[in-house]
Amino acid sequence: MTQYPSAILARGIVAATGPLLVFSLFLLFAGHNQPGGGFAGGLVAGVTVMLAWSAGGPDTVRRIIPVRSSALLGAGLVIATVTGFWPLLAGLEFLESGYVEISIPLIGDLKLVSALAFDIGVYLVVLGMSLGLVRALGEEHTDNSEVTR
Amino acid sequence: MVLLLLIHAVTALAVIALRRFVGSWAFLIGALGPLAVLVWAVSQLGDITEGAIYRQTVQWVPSLDLVVDFRVDAYALLFLFVVGVAGTAIFIYAARYFKPGPKVATFAGTMTIFAGAMVGLVSTDHLLGLFLFWELTTITSYLLIGFDDHKPRARTAALHAALVTGAGGLAMLGGLVVLGDAAGSFLVSDIVTNPPAASGAVTLGWLLVLLGAVTKSAQFPFHGWLPGAMAAPTPASAFLHSATMVKAGIFLVGRLAPAAVVSVDWWQGAVLIIGFVTMVVGGWRALRQHDLKLMLAFGTVSQLGLLFLLIGVGIPKLLFGGLALLAAHALFKASLFMFVGTIDHESGTRDLRRLSGLRRSMPLVFWSTVAAVTSMAAVPLTFGFAAKEAAFDGLLDEGVAFVAAAAAASILTVAYAGRFLLGAFGSHHTGHDPAGTDARSPRDALLWAPLALAAAGVVLGVFPGLIRPLIDAATETAGGVRGAGKLVWWPGLVPALAWSLLSLTAGALLVWRPGAVDRATAAVGKLAARLPTADGSFRRSVAGLVSFADRSSSLIQNGSLPAYIAIVLLVAVFLPASAFRDGIPSFELPRVGSELELILGLLIAGSAIALVFIRRRFAAVILLGGVGYGMAGLYAVLGGPDLSLTQLLVETLTIALFAFVLRYLPAGFTRSMTARGLRLGVAALVGAFVFAGGLITAGTQLGPPVSDLYLDQSVPVAGGSNVVNTILVDFRAFDTLGEITVLAVATLGAAALVLPITRSRREEGP
Repeated sequence: MTQYPSAILARGIVAATGPLLVFSLFLLFAGHNQPGGGFAGGLVAGVTVMLAWSAGGPDTVRRIIPVRSSALLGAGLVIATVTGFWPLLAGLEFLESGYVEISIPLIGDLKLVSALAFDIGVYLVVLGMSLGLVRALGEEHTDNSEVTR
Repeated sequence: MVLLLLIHAVTALAVIALRRFVGSWAFLIGALGPLAVLVWAVSQLGDITEGAIYRQTVQWVPSLDLVVDFRVDAYALLFLFVVGVAGTAIFIYAARYFKPGPKVATFAGTMTIFAGAMVGLVSTDHLLGLFLFWELTTITSYLLIGFDDHKPRARTAALHAALVTGAGGLAMLGGLVVLGDAAGSFLVSDIVTNPPAASGAVTLGWLLVLLGAVTKSAQFPFHGWLPGAMAAPTPASAFLHSATMVKAGIFLVGRLAPAAVVSVDWWQGAVLIIGFVTMVVGGWRALRQHDLKLMLAFGTVSQLGLLFLLIGVGIPKLLFGGLALLAAHALFKASLFMFVGTIDHESGTRDLRRLSGLRRSMPLVFWSTVAAVTSMAAVPLTFGFAAKEAAFDGLLDEGVAFVAAAAAASILTVAYAGRFLLGAFGSHHTGHDPAGTDARSPRDALLWAPLALAAAGVVLGVFPGLIRPLIDAATETAGGVRGAGKLVWWPGLVPALAWSLLSLTAGALLVWRPGAVDRATAAVGKLAARLPTADGSFRRSVAGLVSFADRSSSLIQNGSLPAYIAIVLLVAVFLPASAFRDGIPSFELPRVGSELELILGLLIAGSAIALVFIRRRFAAVILLGGVGYGMAGLYAVLGGPDLSLTQLLVETLTIALFAFVLRYLPAGFTRSMTARGLRLGVAALVGAFVFAGGLITAGTQLGPPVSDLYLDQSVPVAGGSNVVNTILVDFRAFDTLGEITVLAVATLGAAALVLPITRSRREEGP
């Protein structure tokens, strides 16, 4: 019998999810040189999912992230593992990383680190974990929200 | 040799992979393996009989010094012949026996794998290789017995066989490791030439190896699985459970007996007692069966008992007789199993109370069966007779008691052989629902394959000289001497002949007066009903094991979360704390750097202390959050923005998850004072240890800190200036990979645990 405390709060939270997800991506990409990284970024995205859930229930979450949690977990693990094996083809060690610097007009110099791909895998697994736990633990929630509507 | 194994592997996998298309070719393709073995064995026969030894060493993993050694001497060659001859005949037979189909093709492939495993088992020279092939035969036997997987009886029988032989195999592995270790070599040939000296461990090792052989060869008291294994289709019974697999145990005791006899003094006694008891129990049980196949199965148990003691006891003359009998047994028993299959196939039953008139309707099958049965009963002019004479002759040297015991079992053999023949083909039965009068003698592999084996038995009975060189050489290579025994079609008037004739006459009398047998078996049956049967004791021990597992797991896994956490925490404290048993090194208390640190520290400490006294769960979650956020602040003040950020986010996520879970938990904590006291005790202990341990480990720096390296290398090697991140995704990326794997698995596990609970609640709800 959960009633959402306030429609304004709920709408506000839903509106904030977009910027929060962008912020989580920022943390992911900035992480190599500034505070952040895949783990922190994934956690921010995970907290966003929880907020969205408490504001609008499963439907809202599904609108923001329209995939199953297990797909995120799997994709994350696959990406991270592939980044591990990829260097072997180049005769390097397992998980060894490299980087290239490229210049893009107007934007400036960009340093692309192969470890970023690994970090994306971490991000996806952490997000998948949050999503999976929210969906599992909030299962009853689903039912009630449908009843109250 | 590797080529032979490869032929088996390739044909088996091809047949299984193409099971939908091979149709009736499945068994014929599978027959290539045993046929190749036969061809190879024939090609090596001359050299190996003269004493040559075929060796092949294959480098497997050169860097680990792993090699695969094959060594085929005459003893192994004899077994290879058994596999090749029986295998070829049975595969050709099976091609006609089954209606082709994908499932049958899988069966054919499995049987081919088994044949390959058997070839490997007898030809490898490495103890562990032997174990590997040994277990492969156990697994394939399980699959073959359970072929009719829709029948509970077949599944139970398959499991029974797999559990008994599998447990024996594990025991054997332990024994082989002990023996190999004591002998300093894992090569079978080395152990036989240099037996390990007697010691407690070596005694145990031999005991375990003997256990493995006893279970595999269905010796008393583990013989119960073999009759059950008759749930398998007849070709598998003929191949595995009479001709080859059950002889693996005999192969092993024969191979190792020369070493065992030197190493431990109880070996001969143990082998003799086990063999004699098995022989008599099996023969007796065979007399009481109505199912022809079960009768043969118990007969096999009995014969295996005799072979076990002859070959395993380590006396050359007995070994000679045993090996001859082994070859004879493979020929007549495989052929009899196939004939039972043919009878079943043509008349629809194996129950001798229903079969009637088969002698007239299937004359060719009848006369061929007579040839095999007479060999089993050791009637003169059969291979069985020549072999048994050799065995009796050897036993006579050891003492009259031995030969009398063997003769007793032989009488039973003659009796059930007669019962088999009269029951299957006689027409005097007036029982209800007779079957078989309109059966037709088949004119294809159902007749020719077993007929070939039975005929071979007759030929070798008349001309035993054909096989004598091989038996002689096999005896020599298994620790005996050349010319240990005689293998002739007519021994002359010797004492052993008297024992043979005695067995035949007494057995024939038992067949002549079936009423007397029935009365005697009924009387003994009443008595024996009080004794535990092998099958019953197996069921009871499995049930006991299951209930023991139930009780012990309900004791260890009692489902109490606080108990689990307490155990985990206490282990985490006491295990590292044992490093401090020589005294606790001195350490410095930390100094407070700034007011902000002090304030945050007080926040953490205050929240933690309040947490202990709070009674409501919700408030406890908030206070726990206070501790966490305080930590995050402390990290930020001490210059770790990354840690701080992560801690903050993890804390938020944790509290949010708590909010989800709190709905399912009682509002307050337990009010039991003992429980609270215990938890306080554990918490205080863990807290004190972590605090002191942290200070001590931080103060005892043994080498240069690894963090310097990371700080130096972060930008040049990993291309990033955030050291925490470069550690996570570069320097220690392997750790991170492991961690995210754990995370993913834990999530799936948690979801799998939680979802059924919430779903069931929803269903019970309004």
